[in-house]
Amino acid sequence: MSKRKVKETHMPVGECISQYGYIFQVQMILRERFCHQRLPEKPVGMESQHKHLLELLRRTAVHGESNSVLIVGPRGSGKTMLLNCVLRELLEVKDVNKNVLPVHLNGLLQTDDRIALKEITRQLNLENVVGDKVFGSFAENLAFLLEALKKGDRSSSRPVLFILDEFDLFAHHKNQTLLYNLLDVSQSAQAPVAVIGLTCRLDVLELLEKRVKSRFSHRQIHLLSSLSFIQYLDNVRSQLSLPQDFPDTNFYDEWNDGIKTLCEDQSVVDVLQRHYNSSKDFRSLHLLLMLALSRVSASKPAIKPTDLLEASRVCMVDSKANILHGLSILELCLIIAMKHLNDIYEGEPFNFQMVHNEFKKFLQRKSHSIHNFDKPVVIKAFEHLQQLELIKSMDSSTAKIQKEYQLMKLLLDHSQIMEALQKYPQCPTDVKQWAMSAFG
Amino acid sequence: MFVGLLLSRYLNMSVEGQEAVTTVTPGQYILIEGNDDEYPFVAKLLKFFGDESHKQKKALVQWFLRLSEVPQNKKLLLGRSPHPQEIFYYLGRACDNEINAESILGTVDVRQDNSPDTLYVKLSWDTKAFNVLDPVLMQDTPASTPPKPALPLFPPCASPTATPVSRGPVRRALPTPDPTVMRRAGSVSDTRATMSAGKRSTLEISANDLLLCLSQGWATLMGVGATKKSELIMMDCSCLFPVGSRSYFIYLDVIFVVLLTCVPVLRLHVSSVPESLPCREQEFQDIYNFVESKVMDGTGGCMYISGVPGTGKTATIHEVIRCLQHASDMDEIPTFRFIEINGMKMTDPHQAYVQILQKLTDQKVTADHAAALLEKRFSNPAPKKETTVLLVDELDLLWTRKQNVMYNLFDWPTRRHARLVVLTIANTMDLPERIMINRVASRLGLTRMSFQPYSFKQLQQIITSRLNKVKAFEEDALQLVSRKVAALSGDARRCLDICRRATEICEHSTSHPSSAGLVRMNHVMEALDEMFSSSYITAIRCASLQEQLFLRAVIAEFRRLGLEEATFQQVFVQHRALSRVEGLQPISVSEGLAVCQRLGACRLLLLEASRLDMLQRVRLNVSQDDVLYALKAVRD
Repeated sequence: MSKRKVKETHMPVGECISQYGYIFQVQMILRERFCHQRLPEKPVGMESQHKHLLELLRRTAVHGESNSVLIVGPRGSGKTMLLNCVLRELLEVKDVNKNVLPVHLNGLLQTDDRIALKEITRQLNLENVVGDKVFGSFAENLAFLLEALKKGDRSSSRPVLFILDEFDLFAHHKNQTLLYNLLDVSQSAQAPVAVIGLTCRLDVLELLEKRVKSRFSHRQIHLLSSLSFIQYLDNVRSQLSLPQDFPDTNFYDEWNDGIKTLCEDQSVVDVLQRHYNSSKDFRSLHLLLMLALSRVSASKPAIKPTDLLEASRVCMVDSKANILHGLSILELCLIIAMKHLNDIYEGEPFNFQMVHNEFKKFLQRKSHSIHNFDKPVVIKAFEHLQQLELIKSMDSSTAKIQKEYQLMKLLLDHSQIMEALQKYPQCPTDVKQWAMSAFG
Repeated sequence: MFVGLLLSRYLNMSVEGQEAVTTVTPGQYILIEGNDDEYPFVAKLLKFFGDESHKQKKALVQWFLRLSEVPQNKKLLLGRSPHPQEIFYYLGRACDNEINAESILGTVDVRQDNSPDTLYVKLSWDTKAFNVLDPVLMQDTPASTPPKPALPLFPPCASPTATPVSRGPVRRALPTPDPTVMRRAGSVSDTRATMSAGKRSTLEISANDLLLCLSQGWATLMGVGATKKSELIMMDCSCLFPVGSRSYFIYLDVIFVVLLTCVPVLRLHVSSVPESLPCREQEFQDIYNFVESKVMDGTGGCMYISGVPGTGKTATIHEVIRCLQHASDMDEIPTFRFIEINGMKMTDPHQAYVQILQKLTDQKVTADHAAALLEKRFSNPAPKKETTVLLVDELDLLWTRKQNVMYNLFDWPTRRHARLVVLTIANTMDLPERIMINRVASRLGLTRMSFQPYSFKQLQQIITSRLNKVKAFEEDALQLVSRKVAALSGDARRCLDICRRATEICEHSTSHPSSAGLVRMNHVMEALDEMFSSSYITAIRCASLQEQLFLRAVIAEFRRLGLEEATFQQVFVQHRALSRVEGLQPISVSEGLAVCQRLGACRLLLLEASRLDMLQRVRLNVSQDDVLYALKAVRD
């Protein structure tokens, strides 16, 4: 790596421009990867699931056999990616391409059956058919759509793929009408449909009503990655490497060599191990790599171990400790007073008056550097802490009780407070000592 | 007026219209009061007579139909759009041809040629087809013998409402399947048996059998689910047939390959309609008898059918209706209308009215209006009424607070002129007692039937009959599936799904689809594993190290507290201690929360709302033993 640094300094101007172009390209390629804008060539580590799903959808698309299936896996495990890969592959088949109608629904967008139905109508391009008929009610719309689905039979009508993202949310719709109807169509000799649900809940079947459950085929594809750390590392390398068809072979070799050495660096391995321990999914990994990638520029055309360390630090940072750095001394003192109250009363809730008393005790006995504040000022500081959600009111009915006597709880761990104090700029020593002393 | 009536001795009768008094005489065309004020019924008056007590004047008529009265599904038989003034000579026998003289509204002009303003007749309608009208029937022959060619179901002088109508000629014991269908099924299964024995050499099959197989077998097989490819082959085959035997045999080989691979999977799909429903013979017979007797008597009634999902309730009723339709096509019982509504396919219980009315008369109105129209339809006597059989699926969803939808549905059949048979389906046996108020439950009556979950033997029989003698499963494998399902739910759908999946697995286990053998025990086991195994343990094993550590911390904290619930803050203390023991770098609170949320999203943990931050309470959604078992296996 040092070699390249040397090279860099002696780079002529023309090369510098092309270098800039390449870096731009590298960033384009990798960003597309990390932001999930381009599907990978082949889903990693889920070959059997891929085969299963492809076969299932092929049966629907080619043979007109209705099916229903659930893809279950934790967040970021690649459910949508797998499905999109399968769909891409499916649509490459000549006959299927013109024939299949995919309908994408998302439980977060289609929050009730009425909206879902509208969306289905829109995606099936039935709006024109519906257009001149005015549907008085959701019921009529449903009846129309069911009729449209019912009319066809296996050989003549086009297969429809219903893709229900966040499947579990559809189970919360009233009577589960939509699910019942979709699954019922998939179980009867009407138009060929495939119902594909994506969910991260392992207990999703328990949400289904018994009639709906009976109509579901109980096919589940689990995406649970059993990736070992070695495979994880390999994956990091392949994610950061440039594709074969990169225009400049010199740059390509250089970049990929750089990545290889990067992945062998002990500090980088440690960082990745830590990430791997925390979560195996690729989405958080992509976040980390994205941060590292954004530090690459024309003047620094490679990812260095320090970049990755810095990125990891940003990823892993404790958000609340960060907020504490921005507090005033008075607010910090109040937090410390609360911490002591927590110690004394073993986590029982406290009110403003108690905190204020504790703070006054500190001022009288130990403080040298901090002036006495007026009570309204202290109240203001207290309210500010509440707005930052560092403390939380315990009673729901806030109207009746005076502000000073509302019961509060601290939403901070001791470790967070101590960590913040260590890093707080120009923290008075007496405050620090007060925080570290056992009781008040 | 009365003098005139007496003099005419039932030959003439005066009708008091709104403005003037009109006199009708036999042989005239008359309008009769009906459901629709705008379009009254049209008939030709044949003669007047008095009923037994001589209190009421009755009239014998020959009916004419407007197209709107022809059943929805038969309208297309006309093959053209009808003229609004066109009516049809009615040749059916299901309708009562006696009317009360009071219901006559007036006379009308009917011609046989196409005239724009008066009604005209060109065709006759015998409940099955439109035919060109025999002009003899239209001759002015007042009080002649009724021109009905069929057997007089209703004796001319007996009032159908006063005395129970004589039943149909012979009540059949069991609807026997169409003999041609039987023959076809037999021949197909024969050829299939030969195929499955693995002898794909065509030499054993004579040309006759082959023809039979092609012409009839394909129809059944491909009716189940035709693939375009195989249809193509079939067409090729029939084209090649006369040309030469050699190429023909090659094609035949191809057909068998297709048959062998696609038949079991297609036949096992829940949607494929089997030729018969095994194991529900008794229920079938009971429902059949019930509906048949009501249709024959022209009375009404309710029946409540319960059973857990997937026990063949709806399928059995559809089968019954199919058999009855067949019987009515063969003129063994009067014609009837079948209407089906499903509580799950409506958004609001009151939509039931709209859907029933729409299916009966093709009108689209609001729920309230529909209720009123149906009320009128079922409570008023109307001539030419056929029995309506109404199937209400998922009855429990028609529940409203006042239960008026259910009340009406069960009240209509009790009306004298309704001729409505209501079959209701729900899952729970005690639904009438649980959710219905007394007056509704009482009207539903006590005709109840419950479909028991299938036993393993029945499930086995169902699969065997579906496969129709194609030997696709090992005997043991079949038994395993049916026993497993019978022990869990007795749901036939589940059973078929498992078998279908097992067939797929079997197909994929071999490289070439045609070389796939029987579905064996291991294939079935794999399918069962896929569908029934709990994924929690695998999920825990595949979780990241910190997530596993967090689960251990949860259990440790539960043990310490002696409770099954702890706050995140408490668990996190344990987590930190555990990571020190394990020699891991302790994670920050934010990270810990993220780990906790991930476990919560998979529902390995149950969490409170995340706005509570550190104070949210954590519970396990899996048993502690399962977690420990899963984690132990990881560490070993």
